[in-house]
Amino acid sequence: MAAPPPSAAPLPPRPAGVGGWLASRWELVALVLLAAAPLCIPALGGALGGQVTTLFIYCILALALNVMVGYTGLVHLGIASFFGIGAYCLAILTVPMYPFRIGFLPAAVVAVLVTAGTGLALGAPTLRLRGDYLAIVTLGFGEVAKVTLRNLEQITGGMKGLNPVPPPGAGVTVAGLDLGKAFAIDPRWFYYLSLLSLAGVVLAMRRLETSRLGRALVAVREDELAAQAMGISATRVKLSAFAMSSAVAGLAGCLYAASLSTTADPNAYDFNRSIMVLCAVILGGLGSIPGTILGVAILVGFDTVLAPWADSWIQQMNINPSGSSALSFSGWRLAIFGLALVFVMRYRPEGLIPSRRLAAELHEEGP
Amino acid sequence: MSDSRSPAVPGPSGSPLLDVDRITVRFGGLVAVSDLDLDVPEGTIVSLIGPNGAGKTTAFNCVSGIYAPSGGSVRFRGKRLERALTPGTILKALAVGLLTGLLFAAAAVDVDRMWMAVVKRGMITGEPFTLAGAVERLRGYFRSELAIDQMAGKWRVVSSDGADVLAIKRDLAEARLVRDALQAKVTARRIDPGTVPDPTDLGPSDEPQAAGVTLPPVKEEVLDRLAAGKSRIRFRGWSGLALGLILGTAGTLAVWQRGRRSPHVVARAGISRTFQNIRLFSNMSVLENVLVGLDRTIPGGVLAMLLRTPANVRGEAAARKKALEALGFVGLAGDANRIAGQLPYGDQRRLEIARALATGARLILLDEPAAGMNPSETADLASLIERIRDSGVTVLLIEHHMNVVMRVSDRVAVLDHGTKIAEGTPAEVRRDEKVIEAYLGGGE
Repeated sequence: MAAPPPSAAPLPPRPAGVGGWLASRWELVALVLLAAAPLCIPALGGALGGQVTTLFIYCILALALNVMVGYTGLVHLGIASFFGIGAYCLAILTVPMYPFRIGFLPAAVVAVLVTAGTGLALGAPTLRLRGDYLAIVTLGFGEVAKVTLRNLEQITGGMKGLNPVPPPGAGVTVAGLDLGKAFAIDPRWFYYLSLLSLAGVVLAMRRLETSRLGRALVAVREDELAAQAMGISATRVKLSAFAMSSAVAGLAGCLYAASLSTTADPNAYDFNRSIMVLCAVILGGLGSIPGTILGVAILVGFDTVLAPWADSWIQQMNINPSGSSALSFSGWRLAIFGLALVFVMRYRPEGLIPSRRLAAELHEEGP
Repeated sequence: MSDSRSPAVPGPSGSPLLDVDRITVRFGGLVAVSDLDLDVPEGTIVSLIGPNGAGKTTAFNCVSGIYAPSGGSVRFRGKRLERALTPGTILKALAVGLLTGLLFAAAAVDVDRMWMAVVKRGMITGEPFTLAGAVERLRGYFRSELAIDQMAGKWRVVSSDGADVLAIKRDLAEARLVRDALQAKVTARRIDPGTVPDPTDLGPSDEPQAAGVTLPPVKEEVLDRLAAGKSRIRFRGWSGLALGLILGTAGTLAVWQRGRRSPHVVARAGISRTFQNIRLFSNMSVLENVLVGLDRTIPGGVLAMLLRTPANVRGEAAARKKALEALGFVGLAGDANRIAGQLPYGDQRRLEIARALATGARLILLDEPAAGMNPSETADLASLIERIRDSGVTVLLIEHHMNVVMRVSDRVAVLDHGTKIAEGTPAEVRRDEKVIEAYLGGGE
């Protein structure tokens, strides 16, 4: 350079965008607390353990969606279909009904690859679409995938779904412990498996955020043309987002099918589930990892943990002897859900824990 | 900002760095730029001036690949900036076509029944699942051969898709014999499907395999349908494959053709730009903005990023260093961690320049960089532009501030209503009567 820089650039104190190597401090604390929880709370060995496991799985699914909606700004209304494809892939490769029976880990790897490929196949022809149009395409894909899963009766078992999906490690014995049996008996095994997967996904997302691809995703969201003028191939970047998002959703699907030991029927992977996850991501904060997790904890936690608990409490207290639905908690579930969403969006449009980037976008400050 | 860039040697050299050759841009009936010729020699600063709406930014958009000119060509270092049609492109299109074709074919041959025939039937007869067995059953499905499956403890002879049940037997061996006998009949019919079925064909004594088994009565129509099954399923499969192959390949090539001269191809070839209305990634930090410009210098794909391979980590560190250098070059070193959108206006313009320089461009297009700046900022900008030129990067400039243009430019081209009306050194252009007329209005 002919003209030297005016002054040696001082290294900034907080390197923006290049975060820690592993995770933020809060995430580590949360991980340690969650890992210790089953040792302190015996209820986690019962039904609650299963419910929390479901929460973790939904967290993974929401983080997958966050790659598309949060980072890249592509509205995706069909994430549940990838969840379903992952679940069915795992089931086909492991159920005793079919001759493959390759075990959880290899099957999960194949399922993740298949969902990533499906994501690419959906993304490639729709790359030029933005906003509403892409939303419609993904919505349509979700419905097509659901109906396909239902109608391929010979392969997917139709409305019956595929079952029983064997637990991970079925038939594997480590130090005299039959892993498959352990998974089947004690929900804490699944609790730890999904917590570990969630931690892995969070770590991957952290690294994505601070990497070249993560910056490119955000750049394409902010201004696609400018990003292209900087030599970034928007096509490639969006396809990567599609593939990553689908792959992680597929992983969540694998865990889901294995933890329920069935794929459930295809309606479990319908539009409602996609919307629920999308709501969780928006409520928590688009593009924010802790926000997404919090959003899932609130929305899905409300649905799967709090609502049944409140119902059983009402029953125990004998408040509602006639069984009127007006006095049961589940009767009000959706109303509370909707109201909460309305209020959060009114007073905190950037979400509960907004990402640094989006907070600025929604509360514009003049220069 | 790479160190390898040698200081430019302005002067006569073969072809110009950028050669805009008679480009014309039409939007519907409106001609925004017509027959524009412009040469930008390496190591110079060339300005493009003209009244508002003269087509300057349109010309920029053509050079940077945002618009495709309706006529004429843009050459950079003697080459058209387009993705070349390589064998790889065609192979990729064919691969996509093949995948689409397989998908179509799967739908056409009823993948659901195929699955049943290939995977489930093997399980039913209790054979261990082998690849060879699966392939055999797959071929059987495509030959539309009769098969055996089980229901309620009895063995059934069924058509390959399971739609027709021809016989039910208690004993597997007997069922096999019946299957073979019936298959022989169906195959015999296949040999000449045009012949009118003869009732004597049905006699069991005609079939050597049928000795000892009583064949169930099978209707003529069913046998005909079974005999036609093979050509039907093959026709479906092949036509699905062909249709998908054509659609997939053609679609991929069409998309490729449309993206052939996309801005990122131009940027990667070494032309970078800033925008008239600033287009920063305003919610990213200043440093991140510049890092986006350095995107290509960091090695590694998705896996390398997730695993943080040493090469990737080194690349990121080197990119940060270069980004800070670029920020220092434009005088924003202290603002690396601020949100880009919160910078003052003039700083945003300079950040855009830093981002464009970071791409390692040989030619940088500056679209009204001094717009909205005060006089002292404008003077700083002029010296920044000169420093850019001195660092070896050629500059093509659109500007309305005449003091900047007259101070820094080696050559000036004047556009009016899409046509070039004058070109020369600043001093020549200043005296040109057409230019004066364009700016001040004709005195008729």
